[in-house]
Amino acid sequence: MEWPRLLSDCDEPGDAGSHLTRRGFLAAVGAAVVAGACRREPPPFDTSSFAVPARSAVGLFAATSYGIDLADVIFRGFKELGVNVAGRRVFLKPNMVEYEPGTSINTHPHVVAGTAIACKRAGAAGVVVGEGPGHRRDIEYLLATTGLYDQLKDLDVRFVDLNHDDVRVVPLKSWFTGLREIALPVELLRSDFVISLPKLKTHHWAGMTCSMKNLFGVVPGAVYGWPKNILHMHGIARSILDLTATVRPQLTVVDAVTAMEGDGPIMGKPRPLGFLAMGADLPAVDATCARVIGLDPLKLAYLEPASHYLGNIDERRIDQRGESLARYTTQFDLVPSLQYLRK
Amino acid sequence: MSPVDHAPSLKTQASSPKTHAPASLKLVSSDLQQALLALRNKDGGWGYYAGKSSRLEPTCWALLALARQAGATLDIGALRGWPRQDDCLVDTPGTPINYAFNALAALTLLQNPDGAVLATPIAGRIVVAKGVRLEQATALRQDNSLQAWPWIDQTFSWVEPTAYCLLLLKKMRQNAPGTSTPSLKPPAASLPAGADERIRVGERMLLDRACQTGGWNYGGSNVYGQELWAYVPTTALALLAMQDRRDDPVVAKSLQYLQKDAATEKSAPALAVSLICLRVFGIPASSFEQELIPRLDLSRALGSTVALAMSLYALADTRHGMAAFTL
Repeated sequence: MEWPRLLSDCDEPGDAGSHLTRRGFLAAVGAAVVAGACRREPPPFDTSSFAVPARSAVGLFAATSYGIDLADVIFRGFKELGVNVAGRRVFLKPNMVEYEPGTSINTHPHVVAGTAIACKRAGAAGVVVGEGPGHRRDIEYLLATTGLYDQLKDLDVRFVDLNHDDVRVVPLKSWFTGLREIALPVELLRSDFVISLPKLKTHHWAGMTCSMKNLFGVVPGAVYGWPKNILHMHGIARSILDLTATVRPQLTVVDAVTAMEGDGPIMGKPRPLGFLAMGADLPAVDATCARVIGLDPLKLAYLEPASHYLGNIDERRIDQRGESLARYTTQFDLVPSLQYLRK
Repeated sequence: MSPVDHAPSLKTQASSPKTHAPASLKLVSSDLQQALLALRNKDGGWGYYAGKSSRLEPTCWALLALARQAGATLDIGALRGWPRQDDCLVDTPGTPINYAFNALAALTLLQNPDGAVLATPIAGRIVVAKGVRLEQATALRQDNSLQAWPWIDQTFSWVEPTAYCLLLLKKMRQNAPGTSTPSLKPPAASLPAGADERIRVGERMLLDRACQTGGWNYGGSNVYGQELWAYVPTTALALLAMQDRRDDPVVAKSLQYLQKDAATEKSAPALAVSLICLRVFGIPASSFEQELIPRLDLSRALGSTVALAMSLYALADTRHGMAAFTL
């Protein structure tokens, strides 16, 4: 018997939506996990392909502004967390959505550049940056206005437009969406060390966007359209799970130097936090970031299911490195429909 | 360094597109032509970027841009041999039918007398394709019942696929046999049954999704009471699809938005598609040509076929008169 085909989890347009709330999704997933365990139903992933580590390290590293030497902060983070990119073909996946001066929508180009420099310093065989914005097709506009193109040119790092790259259809490694395969960009598939570089933001549909939601950007728009509506139609939370299980980034570096609160991921307000979060366990990093901004990780629809196969979200199983959680813990503004996410 | 998304820093500005002397459009066009020919794959098509596999959208734009004039000089060989499935062209094996790019392919095929017969089945499939109907969502200011065109089956309706599909059906209606004022020299393709109703729905959907400022983005104008920003490229495409409705206040406001904002979105694709649109509307746009030329530096550096081809098409309007996009 299969796990129940879960209903949609939010009401994004094209998110078949509106049938079930996020709370409903969470309850349904939780029930499915318990029921699955009781009835010995197979979970919607190959259990032999996943193993949640006994403990996970998450680092919070002070970065008071984008003007400091971020490469140094990130390189020290690599050492602290035992990250080894030597000889690897590293793929950096920042979050670029829109551009509007005075906002904090995108991963800051200095965080992208700093990570690229740190990877080179740590012996990476190559570094490529790629993104497939979900709203704007015009990557030239985004590269020019954000300043990212100039940063990368100076570093001799290539940018790949993931919306328009060649694609290969690959099997999904979990099937919460009900989909069995997806087309992914070949440049991403060729790499052997993926680093998710999100901006920490509230998200009016998903609750929060961080290292896992950031992977929506690897789905090619030229195949699935703008926005990446196939993901909404199959449920945002479920899509986050299946994409994370399939791409399996080896590391995340979260831009929380200036985050976004309120009506994110686009119309929210900049909120300076002053740190970079890093870790190899993406659910652990997302759960930690959720705690920092005053959200209960267990109430984020994608995190509880993730804890069954992708990583740890229980803080008792997370080893805090760098700065203390308490130093940064705060309460982010939330749109009214997300108030239930508060701790 | 600013903590927020910032205007390019001084260093960035220094490496921004070089200041060009007023360039000879003829020289620029010739250069673009050479660049596009160099990007062509052995199979006769073009990828989105240098060295990539042939795809539908860049191939169509390159074919349109390289045609010496409207009509028989447009080489449709690459599209004639393109893999098909259910009457449509398949962009990449194993991926869903993309209605936006099939509509663009049909618009391209219609520019050659022999292409109409290939465009007709594509249009037939486009007439029956529609976005899913959704329940109304309180967070959104839009009519979710309008089923215009999705990018792919089993998804919602969005602006860009609707614009391309709408323009295709209007063009075929205008040139259908028996129409009194055909504007195309090539033989007309047959207008599929049901096209008139689909055109009505497509127009309603575009009018419904326009941003408050005028113009369109990907297809959502207001979420949780926040007015979202319009984008220049999608505005230009939607205006092309609505060029026969220019008296409508939403269209008029969007045209004003484009005239005012086209030059603020400084990228070759945005400026090129704006030029195409403004010329189709008969609005002088030569100032945008000089804005466009320095932006081609980035397109060339990236090897972006679509940006280069759109730009050549926009700059070489005397050759083709924007025929592929003009009603």
